Amino acid sequence: MSDPPTNREAQHTLHPAKKIEIIVRGEKEAFVRDLLDESQVSGYTIHHNVTGRGAHGFHEGRLLFNDRDSLVMFFAVAGQETIQTLVDGLTPLFEKSSGVMFVSDTSVVRLDKFIQEE
Amino acid sequence: MPTDRSVLRARIENAAEYVGPLWPLQAFNAANPLVGFEDQPFDRAVQQAEQLFGGQGYPGARVFRQAWENGEIDPDVLARRLAEHGITQRPEVLLDRMERDEGDGEPSMPADHPLNRVMTKWLAAFLDQGQADWAMPSREDGFYAAWRTVAPYDTAVPGIARSSDVPATVAAAFEEVLAGYPEEQWESIFAHHLAALPGWVGFIKWRARRGNTPWQEAYPISLVDYLAVRLTLARRMGHAIAPDRANELPVNGTDRPYLPRIWLRAWEESYRSALLGDLRQAPLSTRNGASTDRPDAQLVFCIDTRSEVIRRHVEAQGHYETHGYAGFFGVPMQHQPYGAEERVKSCPPIVAPKHRIAERPAEQHRDRAERYDGWMRLKAAGTQLLKTLKKNVAAAFGFVEGSGGFFGGAMAARTLLPSGLFRLGKTIRDRLPGPEAFAEPTVDREAVDPNDRDGLPVGLSHEAKVLYAEAAFQLMGWTTFAPLVVFAGHGSQTPNNPYKSSLDCGACAANPGGPNARVLATICNDEAVREDLRERGLDIPDDTVFLAGQHNTTTDEIRLFVDEDDPPVPPGALDRLRQDLRAAQADATAERVETMNATVDSGRPEASIQEAQRRAADWAETRPEWGLAGNAGFVVGPRALTRDLDLDGRCFLHSYDWTMDEDGTALENIMTGPLVVGEWINTQYYFSTVDNAAYGSGSKVTQNVVGKVGVVQGNGGDLMTGLPLQSLMADDETVMHRPLRLLAVIHAPVDRVDAIIERHAILAQLLDHEWLHLTVMAPEPDNAFVRYQPGGTWEAESSIVSSSEAETPVSPGTAL
Repeated sequence: MSDPPTNREAQHTLHPAKKIEIIVRGEKEAFVRDLLDESQVSGYTIHHNVTGRGAHGFHEGRLLFNDRDSLVMFFAVAGQETIQTLVDGLTPLFEKSSGVMFVSDTSVVRLDKFIQEE
Repeated sequence: MPTDRSVLRARIENAAEYVGPLWPLQAFNAANPLVGFEDQPFDRAVQQAEQLFGGQGYPGARVFRQAWENGEIDPDVLARRLAEHGITQRPEVLLDRMERDEGDGEPSMPADHPLNRVMTKWLAAFLDQGQADWAMPSREDGFYAAWRTVAPYDTAVPGIARSSDVPATVAAAFEEVLAGYPEEQWESIFAHHLAALPGWVGFIKWRARRGNTPWQEAYPISLVDYLAVRLTLARRMGHAIAPDRANELPVNGTDRPYLPRIWLRAWEESYRSALLGDLRQAPLSTRNGASTDRPDAQLVFCIDTRSEVIRRHVEAQGHYETHGYAGFFGVPMQHQPYGAEERVKSCPPIVAPKHRIAERPAEQHRDRAERYDGWMRLKAAGTQLLKTLKKNVAAAFGFVEGSGGFFGGAMAARTLLPSGLFRLGKTIRDRLPGPEAFAEPTVDREAVDPNDRDGLPVGLSHEAKVLYAEAAFQLMGWTTFAPLVVFAGHGSQTPNNPYKSSLDCGACAANPGGPNARVLATICNDEAVREDLRERGLDIPDDTVFLAGQHNTTTDEIRLFVDEDDPPVPPGALDRLRQDLRAAQADATAERVETMNATVDSGRPEASIQEAQRRAADWAETRPEWGLAGNAGFVVGPRALTRDLDLDGRCFLHSYDWTMDEDGTALENIMTGPLVVGEWINTQYYFSTVDNAAYGSGSKVTQNVVGKVGVVQGNGGDLMTGLPLQSLMADDETVMHRPLRLLAVIHAPVDRVDAIIERHAILAQLLDHEWLHLTVMAPEPDNAFVRYQPGGTWEAESSIVSSSEAETPVSPGTAL
């Protein structure tokens, strides 16, 4: 395979960004969605029926007749200011409801897809 | 979103946990009014709730006295329970003392408080869903903005001469009212103001989060709006923003010995001992009790407590086998009835619908559908004309003059001849068959309409069909299939009753379960589905036909949805089944009308049916049926366990065969689905009974429907949240529903049940905090009873097992 042209090489660079992962009980899904929507996060992915153990015990996913009590997990990428807004919204929530939020370094191909002006 | 706003939202979300959601009347789902306290032990939770809502958490002395005098509380059990707390007085003395000690619980802010009056006035106007002819203006701007527009005209609120006298936005409103209050205090402020009107707040919670209704889309409201208006009003009207210290949320209740708590435990233990004693007599001749010989028909009913009565009487008619399964028949669907615009959720409140099932005319019955459509168009035109004549200012007076005689006659007929009306209605239905006679559910998968607002696919994929059919038979533990299998959903029949949906199927989001039964029957008759089931070890014989039906819980009639022109089973077999169902109806109604203060000729089998039919047609009847009053037990196991017992319509019955469920998946689905819904229903009946003013809805006689969404007592105030008195009390003095926390009895190995509880925090929470009790009937080696103890240990049921067995905590799987 021959080397691609130099200008395309520049386009194929990965850009550093922050990845957010939020795990909450199914009944808090709407709250987190609203929070993300209003925090200018450009998009997110939701995994339903997530299984895991937390301070309040085990939550088994894959239930046939109960969508409320299993966990849901959100993935998103955002800038620092948006992340702070999410932290401000979730910190009080986690005082009363079980849930976690992780923020980690990641790389994305198209930064403009994720980071809007803040 | 500005940072402060996200904090504000989260604090409101937390504060709103204390108030349970309230469904509208059309879908009156049973729910625990104290659901936000389930993370607390029961005793502490009811004390906290009392502080917030002013509601009692335990039955009163009068209820205990009735149970004591009826012999429902075992004197030995009570004496032992009292002795554990060093109490040695006679029960009668203690009842007198409890009566003297009873105070009138009052909410921190009564419903007629001036602030509540203003709030409820505007909430009723804003949240109206089609009842008002003149709607509140500017509703499309949201509650805060709409209220701000009309606030200057409200003479009850001082100091607002024009809209600009109040903050322009919700954010500005909070900035103004929360100035000077640190964030740590916000939750307590919000909880205080949300709990002041738990009915309206519960409804907003439902509408904003769960409803996704066209009303919410058109006229949005949230708890943020509610609090912005309320706190702004409080400030203008000179009421406190923050609660008094005494009314702040209690952090901890007390653990003091408390007489009603001891009495309730003794009552529950007495019920448990009696039920387990009965179950112990079950002829479990084989390991699982399953029958291997082939019955003439198998009928599957909802787990609902009302099914227990009719199932007994159906079985008594012949070689029939009955089963219990969640009444939505495992199909998480949204239903669009024939000719209806609206779609209704038809699965439990804890399950999201995954398919839309519409009804369309069957090809062979298009002519019937056209005839029906023609009549319906005529009816709609007539209704519209009537509405115009009644409401048009010019026509209204002349209309009343001209039509008074007709309406007077109709009113007299409804009042004096309800049984005649029932027969007339039946005759009309026979002449003009409804959609069930010509429409069929769209079970096969169709494309998703990209413009559809909820995006649910119409129909089911082949894989989904196989999954739901397999789940049904696995959960019920079936190996044998009769030539005829009937899935019978259930629904009630009652006119002029805003609480009709509370009498329908709780597993179908308070709708009748017939449509779900039709879907599962259609799936199970699908040859391709049966082929796949065979590969999975479920061999349905070729001669087995699945039918759907609906049990009318008011009249106990079981209607079978059968194409009369082309019945799928031999007419002889169908006729025999129908005759037996009619005989079962007579026996079941005879048993039920006895409990409803009715006098009927006991020598005439039809008399009780006629009395039940009168109740189903009488617009003045406040108690068409008892619903689930009395519910106290939830038995998971083979029918052999309960078949010879009369459980008095007090038990949910879910079929289950532990030998067919090696990995425990079926039991896991039963315990996390139907059992949790059973707990919701049980707690709603419990709290509606122990404090009807706080958690119920008072007498039906003085209720008024508001906004087509709920009921209020008298002409305003908060929405009432629970069940009416007539659904719980036989008369002013006598309770019909005995308020006991639900006792689950599961026939399965202890280690299997234990592992499921370990995997589900929700179950551990309900059991550890004693919102639900659990006893396991361990099949091996000898069906011994073992009781779950808060904290996760197990204890042999000493009063049930033989005296030689030790009453010491045991670990799962040991010596059981």
